[in-house]
Amino acid sequence: MAAREVLFKCLNCGHEYPGMFDMDNVTERTCPKCRSNSVRRLPKPKAESKK
Amino acid sequence: MMDVGRHPNVELLSFSEVESVAGFVGNFHVTIRKKARYVNPDECNTCGECAKVCPVAVPDEYQQGFTSRKAIYLPFAQAVPSSYVLDMENCLGVNPIACGKCQEVCEKKCIDYDDQDELINVEVGVIIAATGMDVYDPTEYDEYGYTRYENVITSMEFERLICAGGPTEGHFIRPTDRKLPKSIGFIQCVGSRSRDGRGNPYCSNICCMNTVKDTLLLCDHYPGTEIKVFYMDIRAFGKGFEDLYMRSKEEGVKYIRGIPGEVLEEVDSKNLVLTVENTTTGKLEKHELEMLVLSQGVIPRRDNDQIRKLLTLSTTSDGFIMESHPKLKPVDAPTKGVFIAGCLESPKDVKDSVTQAGAAAARASILLNAGKTKIEAITSMVDPEKCNYCGVCARVCAYNAIIAPDKKTKKLPVIIQAACAGCGACAAECQQDAIYMRHFRDEQIMAQIEAILARDPHKQLVTFACNWCSYAGGDMAGTSRLQYPTTCRLIRTMCSGRVDEKFVMHAFKLGAPMVLVSGCHFADCHYISAVHWTQKRMDRLWSKFDRLGIRAERLQLEWISAAEGQKFARVMRGMEEKMARVTLEEIEYTMKAIAEDEARELAKKDKVDSVEVEV
Repeated sequence: MAAREVLFKCLNCGHEYPGMFDMDNVTERTCPKCRSNSVRRLPKPKAESKK
Repeated sequence: MMDVGRHPNVELLSFSEVESVAGFVGNFHVTIRKKARYVNPDECNTCGECAKVCPVAVPDEYQQGFTSRKAIYLPFAQAVPSSYVLDMENCLGVNPIACGKCQEVCEKKCIDYDDQDELINVEVGVIIAATGMDVYDPTEYDEYGYTRYENVITSMEFERLICAGGPTEGHFIRPTDRKLPKSIGFIQCVGSRSRDGRGNPYCSNICCMNTVKDTLLLCDHYPGTEIKVFYMDIRAFGKGFEDLYMRSKEEGVKYIRGIPGEVLEEVDSKNLVLTVENTTTGKLEKHELEMLVLSQGVIPRRDNDQIRKLLTLSTTSDGFIMESHPKLKPVDAPTKGVFIAGCLESPKDVKDSVTQAGAAAARASILLNAGKTKIEAITSMVDPEKCNYCGVCARVCAYNAIIAPDKKTKKLPVIIQAACAGCGACAAECQQDAIYMRHFRDEQIMAQIEAILARDPHKQLVTFACNWCSYAGGDMAGTSRLQYPTTCRLIRTMCSGRVDEKFVMHAFKLGAPMVLVSGCHFADCHYISAVHWTQKRMDRLWSKFDRLGIRAERLQLEWISAAEGQKFARVMRGMEEKMARVTLEEIEYTMKAIAEDEARELAKKDKVDSVEVEV
């Protein structure tokens, strides 16, 4: 699966930022703002995922 | 190489490639493809008559393309075995009508156009990987004009030109006029220490001293040659290296601190004009040189990924193969029985490569001489009663230590105990709880969670910490006398990959206000890629929290290395601040939501089971 752009959210400071995500090539996530690793890949909005 | 070729205990398989590796420490089954040489190496006496009559000429890779070779050729003068080889891609002789001249002149009759690749199976106890590296191609740096200007060459090409066995027999000439250049420049760090998206961010380790050596060679062979080295730093850290650097300076080599931004060629003279900001003086300078050498960096082998997959290894972000531990096990690979040496692991010079190779051989001989190996009792086991043959365990295992089950034949997964490293990722991913990990069984970890949350659960900070990094990071914080909250309660697992979803849910169900899962940084993971599964599992858990209406922020994830005591303490302080914001009502809601969800899941499972019984 190719890398695609997704939205990440830091669960430490709440900062949201776009980034690349590749299911087959998992990389360490670090919040660019607070350096926390509690970075979550936000699920696609339902309308978008239906498309 | 000659010694290796002649050694009675060494079987040298040149011109061969490893196709597959199966098994485990002490019992590796390796399949090797011995490529067809089309020349019998036992018979060939390297008379060279075949090459003389061969009509095909192609650039000689060994001589960096400065000369040509024939389709039948000796790879290089000291090649072992000393035998010609036929490059079938360029040979005309597949059809003897087209050529076949080499076969005609070969008195020993050792050329066979019908030679085929041969697959060899060998059983070995240990494997040492020492596959080397590649060099960076500087064409990306367009401003240096490599390949555009003939007098701009790489350090590898310089080696061939100055070498007595090279195309000019060691007479250094510049390509455009075949004359000895009066002025030569070297540009350092081409493709190394780069942050502009070109080249690589790491230092290639060997280029500085290689250039110092080259300047000394030039001073020795051609006194009076004007030599300039453009650099950002000279890294002369090895034994005797500083002396060499000083000697080079004393010989008159000019070291200019600054990397040229532009190289232009003068049309008539073919001289090169470099524009550089001398960062020592802060002035913009122009230097006219007759020849320019680009000190190209080192890159991982282009087929490193293939090697990684064959031996179930992991790579660093630079693409080099990662060692088991950078300080304590620098030549051990994470896979038991596999050792690494040389530039496969990182860029290094000959001395370091030889040292590492010696260490790898010694480590390997310890295993071989012992004849048996001790393994940790912390390995995974299969519960045949619970397994539904889904095969997730085999897919998760980074060590290929699990032979996949077969649903059709009801064959259970088999865990090769000698290959299992004990990360526990399989146990955490198995939805049927059919895999358990000795010493870190579900019941044992659940009991720890229950003990922590038995009294005042809303005041406890449940933290899962991996044995190697995060737990050691906690130790580091303690021994460094760093202050962190006393509410922190650590549960040690061998790897964060062992932290099952149900451990986290159980902690929240028992009233934990916050849970932290911590592990090694990706580059430090002691279990190749087990930590990847932790991150995937956390994504799943956060999504589940959304579904249940629980704040995802209450479950935190941090990668803390053994040296990051400061980070450990900082994370714990942050966790306590967050814990203070979790209300009792929120905790109660969470407990209820999880209990209801579990009841729903159980009811669903019971329904499925009862349907299966009816059928």
